[in-house]
Amino acid sequence: MNYNSAYAQSIADQLVLAIQINKIEVPLLPDVIHRVLSLTQDPESDAAQLANILQSDPTLSGHVMCIANSAAYTPNANLVSLQQAITRLGIVEISNIAIATSLNNKLFKAPGYEKHIANIWQHSLLTALWSKEVARKQRVSVEAAFLCGLLHSIGKIVILQTISDFRSTQESIMGDYDLGVLFSEYQSDICAGVAKKWGLPEVIGEAITYYTHFEDAPTHAETAATVQFSHQIATHTSDEADLSMEALRTSSTLRLLNLYPEDIDDLLAHAETISKDVKALSR
Amino acid sequence: MNTTENNHAKESHKQQKFDLIVIGSGPAGQKSAVQAAKLGKRVALVERDRYLGGACVHRGTIPSKTLRENALRVTHMRANAKLSNFSLSENLEMSVLINRLDEVLKAHDSYMEKQMNRNHIERLHGCAEFIDKHHIKLIQPLGDPITLESEQFIIATGSYPRAPDIIPVDHEHIYDSDSILSMLYLPKSLTVLGGGVIASEYASIFQALDVKVTMIDKYPQPLGFLDSDLTNNFVHAFETMGGNWVGNTMVRKVFWDGTQVVTECEDGNIIYSEKLLCAAGRISNTRSLQLDNIGLALNKSGLISVNEKLQTDVDNIYAVGDVIGPPALASTAMEQGRRVSCNAYDVPIGNMSQMIPTGIYGIPELSSVGLSENAAREQYGDIIIGKAIFEEIARGQISGIQDGMLKIVCDSEGRKLLGVMIVGEGATELVHIGQMALLANADVDIFVESIFNFPTLAEAYRVAALAVIGQRKNKTDAF
Repeated sequence: MNYNSAYAQSIADQLVLAIQINKIEVPLLPDVIHRVLSLTQDPESDAAQLANILQSDPTLSGHVMCIANSAAYTPNANLVSLQQAITRLGIVEISNIAIATSLNNKLFKAPGYEKHIANIWQHSLLTALWSKEVARKQRVSVEAAFLCGLLHSIGKIVILQTISDFRSTQESIMGDYDLGVLFSEYQSDICAGVAKKWGLPEVIGEAITYYTHFEDAPTHAETAATVQFSHQIATHTSDEADLSMEALRTSSTLRLLNLYPEDIDDLLAHAETISKDVKALSR
Repeated sequence: MNTTENNHAKESHKQQKFDLIVIGSGPAGQKSAVQAAKLGKRVALVERDRYLGGACVHRGTIPSKTLRENALRVTHMRANAKLSNFSLSENLEMSVLINRLDEVLKAHDSYMEKQMNRNHIERLHGCAEFIDKHHIKLIQPLGDPITLESEQFIIATGSYPRAPDIIPVDHEHIYDSDSILSMLYLPKSLTVLGGGVIASEYASIFQALDVKVTMIDKYPQPLGFLDSDLTNNFVHAFETMGGNWVGNTMVRKVFWDGTQVVTECEDGNIIYSEKLLCAAGRISNTRSLQLDNIGLALNKSGLISVNEKLQTDVDNIYAVGDVIGPPALASTAMEQGRRVSCNAYDVPIGNMSQMIPTGIYGIPELSSVGLSENAAREQYGDIIIGKAIFEEIARGQISGIQDGMLKIVCDSEGRKLLGVMIVGEGATELVHIGQMALLANADVDIFVESIFNFPTLAEAYRVAALAVIGQRKNKTDAF
């Protein structure tokens, strides 16, 4: 693969080596998120347990309360306690808010690339919300789709982290072309490593690893295609210049997802609601 | 291939002409396509989904029965707890409970694909819209629409779940029968709205899996087309497992309050559950067909009307399966499919038997054929009923089958067999013995004079038949 700079080539070499020896530097998943993930998968869980977990992280609980009180979630409400917020919005929704706000740019320290990471998280959040809608349309699990979308670009962020870690003071920020090449070359392998390290459920690991080449996914090709198409809708609705309506309507995922032109029209009708939700979650 | 050749190929594809186009590949569509192909016709089978088989295969009959098999295993293991020290693990993923579904579906798709190829049926993936009575536009997920021409058409597009206005189905908390199995985890509690076949099947299956199920319906008993002694057995079995049947109740409002699904009833009762299944019947699936373009209107029930040849008001267009309404059974649809192609090509066939069995794959199973006790009383007045309780049958005792019963309905003389109804495990298979006797116009004595394997549940026929014979007024024979 050709890079514009020798610097990019050296990063690529480092990544190849790190992937080969399984030494990708991935930040630990915050303990609070581990516990929230376990709780959402426990049918015996209740609002009090979730409130207790979130209260162990005051910054997180403050953020969750702020979002829960936003117009997109509870218009005209004045929620004053986590328990009240969970009762009002539900365990799954509050957990999603907590995960979305924890898995953000602050999890990674990549000086020089903060803006890149913030943009990627913003796009991931949008993809997560679209994934729910695409899953709903297909009558497949809406619950799993959100996390798949949210984590689909985690590989890009780890690459940025790696570049930042290797960056010496005299080197400038890598150009978009080289970044794009590095992303397309290595993000799948890195996603697979992150999924393993974080112990993510199989469906999520496979979806984020294979979404760019969903046909190769061993058992969850449709979920991977759901993430890819949701990523494309997110790109299109963010800026039509980045992905035109024509490109969206001719996405190679459509055959596997069995989505017809009228289905795409139905999906796009949710654009305004999703835009509001993403703004609320990004506060 | 150069550009010109490529364009020619595209054009020839665009102008494909068939003797028959079948729209929909469910049980009815599949059988009609195969029958027409066997008659030497050039046939295309259009399917909107990626896989052949329709809702029956992918969202209804087969997936729910796969779940049921595992629910039965759980029930058996629990009943034999001393042997297996069994308890259901927590955090059970739905995918575990329908673990063999993928294999079953792939095997089915492969079998159908081979059948299509063997009979030279062209399989077309897309959504059909009528342009006129001889042309359809095929819209595909990718690519330009193509126009297809055919002498005749068969509409076999099935049905989809009805969603009443007061029930905001979101497929995340509030499901319909097409999406219920997309749940990621087995819920702690489930409200089932409806008392028909689908509602009764899912309510009893989920309850057998330890989900706390509340079943609500406006009628006093579920499965109202069956006699009350059978439905009493079903409700008793459901409640013994821990389920809650709420009959005679209208639902006013359903919503997700952020934590749980709230079901407000007209009588003020409020039921909370983690998930809800709305099983309020199904609607014929004609949305995308553009029937207006061929001057075909739906009847008052929203169905396509057909004559005895399964022909619509448009002479070259036929319809079969759920789109024409009751009985809306896969078994009937298959036979309608075979017959409609024979009708379309004037191949003589006998009358379709009206002796259609009904099978409800709940836990326990229910099945009936012929007249119910209620229907027989209306039609014949005085009748004689004979019953056999499975717990009193050796095989029933051995297998620990509870809430099982077989009922024979006879005329007032206690001879002419009018109907058979069964509740209990194996009912949907066992009913076929009664069906054959009915088709042969046999007297009830056939069940006593015939020798069945012992111990089997077939002995219930003998016991019920003896109960009928014992009530005869003129006892002129050895019984």
